[in-house]
Amino acid sequence: MGVTCVSQMPVAEGKSVQQTVELLTRKLEMLGAEKQGTFCVDCETYHTAASTLGSQGQAGKLMYVMHNSEYPLSCFALFENGPCLVADTNFDVLMVKLKGFFQSAKASKIETRGTRYQYCDFLVKVGTVTMGPSARGISVEVEYGPCVVASDCWSLLLEFLQSFLGSHTPGAPAVFGSRHDAVYSPADTMVQYMELFNKIRKQQQILWMGRDLERTSSLSCNFSQYPT
Amino acid sequence: MADVLSVGVNLEAFAQAISAIQALRSSVSRVFDCLKDGMRNKETLEGREKAFIAHFQDNLHSVNRDLNELERLSNLVGKPSENHPLHNSGLLSLDPVQDKTPLYSQLLQAYKWSNKLQYHAGLASGLLNQQSLKRSANQMGVSAKRRPKAQPTTLVLPPQYVDDVISRIDRMFPEMTIHLSRPNGTSAMLLVTLGKVLKVIVVMRSLFIDRTIVKGYNENVYTEDGKLDIWSKSNYQVFQKVTDHATTALLHYQLPQMPDVVVRSFMTWLRSYIKLFQAPCQRCGKFLQDGLPPTWRDFRTLEAFHDTCRQ
Repeated sequence: MGVTCVSQMPVAEGKSVQQTVELLTRKLEMLGAEKQGTFCVDCETYHTAASTLGSQGQAGKLMYVMHNSEYPLSCFALFENGPCLVADTNFDVLMVKLKGFFQSAKASKIETRGTRYQYCDFLVKVGTVTMGPSARGISVEVEYGPCVVASDCWSLLLEFLQSFLGSHTPGAPAVFGSRHDAVYSPADTMVQYMELFNKIRKQQQILWMGRDLERTSSLSCNFSQYPT
Repeated sequence: MADVLSVGVNLEAFAQAISAIQALRSSVSRVFDCLKDGMRNKETLEGREKAFIAHFQDNLHSVNRDLNELERLSNLVGKPSENHPLHNSGLLSLDPVQDKTPLYSQLLQAYKWSNKLQYHAGLASGLLNQQSLKRSANQMGVSAKRRPKAQPTTLVLPPQYVDDVISRIDRMFPEMTIHLSRPNGTSAMLLVTLGKVLKVIVVMRSLFIDRTIVKGYNENVYTEDGKLDIWSKSNYQVFQKVTDHATTALLHYQLPQMPDVVVRSFMTWLRSYIKLFQAPCQRCGKFLQDGLPPTWRDFRTLEAFHDTCRQ
């Protein structure tokens, strides 16, 4: 497992998600990358059940259960700022048994699907983030296989990202700063994905709130048109 | 494909000879026509015979004339050149069915290719002999009488001495650890771990470095049996490149009389790879070139260059 950087690519002006993804993949192919199959990363949210909360008096914590097609036999469970558990796929069955303690949040499944590209020692995954039936954003993951220490190869990764993302190159992920010389692990990648999904969820919520505000303000305008 | 006729053939005389053959053929056929027609109808028998004989003689004379003309022209045509490179197999060019059996053209191409190959091989061997790659202490070309009977002492060293040298080098650099093992007889196999960047397997022959393989820090260096895997290459292109450079380095650092100095300089050179992913190229200033970081380390200054940027 090499050092990985997960970032979000904003949708191009006046274009759909699909078209932006196509633009990106074409740029990659021009660079010389080869297509190598598909990938999928998904995430389900659980929150601690109300029954357990009362006795302890804490706020409910959110737990994310994620899968990554790069590690098909593993299942990742993580809290927001907490530890990340790497288990095998039977963990999903365990979650069903733990229904009393952890309840699945409604309409919480978010996933990203797309194609994998290989360029020299870089593995690039461009995926469409979907919540339910609709596409909400674009995720870009770049993995540099040979290096296992994050702080070593950030400049190298940055140069590569700039070559095909141009001005949309992200800053250093937070996980890079927190683990200076530790060996990079897949759990760090899942933490990055979780942060990306949360960001997209917040963006979506802001969009919905904005739409609601518009609707209510237009109603009040109509009301004032009729003279008393 | 038309073969080029050599200069000895007179093309004009050739064409004339062909038309002379046609003239000869027609005069011969006239002779036989005359015989077939027999005697013409004339008043007297004598007249008929005379006319017939005269006609016959005319035809025979014309045949004679044409034949002489043909002989004269055939002498002018000349012979095709003797210096045919394929001798008898050159007659294959007369095969009219070129599409199904292009033997002659393929044969010519094969000959040209092998001649070129011989020429290039000669050039290459001349250049390679200038850079001697022998690492033994013997001089080249010394006659058998003057060559020392015993093997040079640096090739038969006690294993304890080798162990001592390696452990001393191990203590020299803090970020480099060397683990020595002898799974196959007396030749030492070193597993050098450089920080968290890479692992190098070095196969030695007494105190001479024979082969190196460079792999990533997270790659498996052991076979299924648990022995050191000295044959499989790295999965990453960058480490395959570094392996090639390491092989160049072990051929560069040569000092047959003092092999421990050689091992020390090789390890110093290898240690410069601790910043493989952090150092930009000294020439172009960039990190990546064709997806590879600067993998070349100069032998004297230990500066980082891309493989294509080095002088």
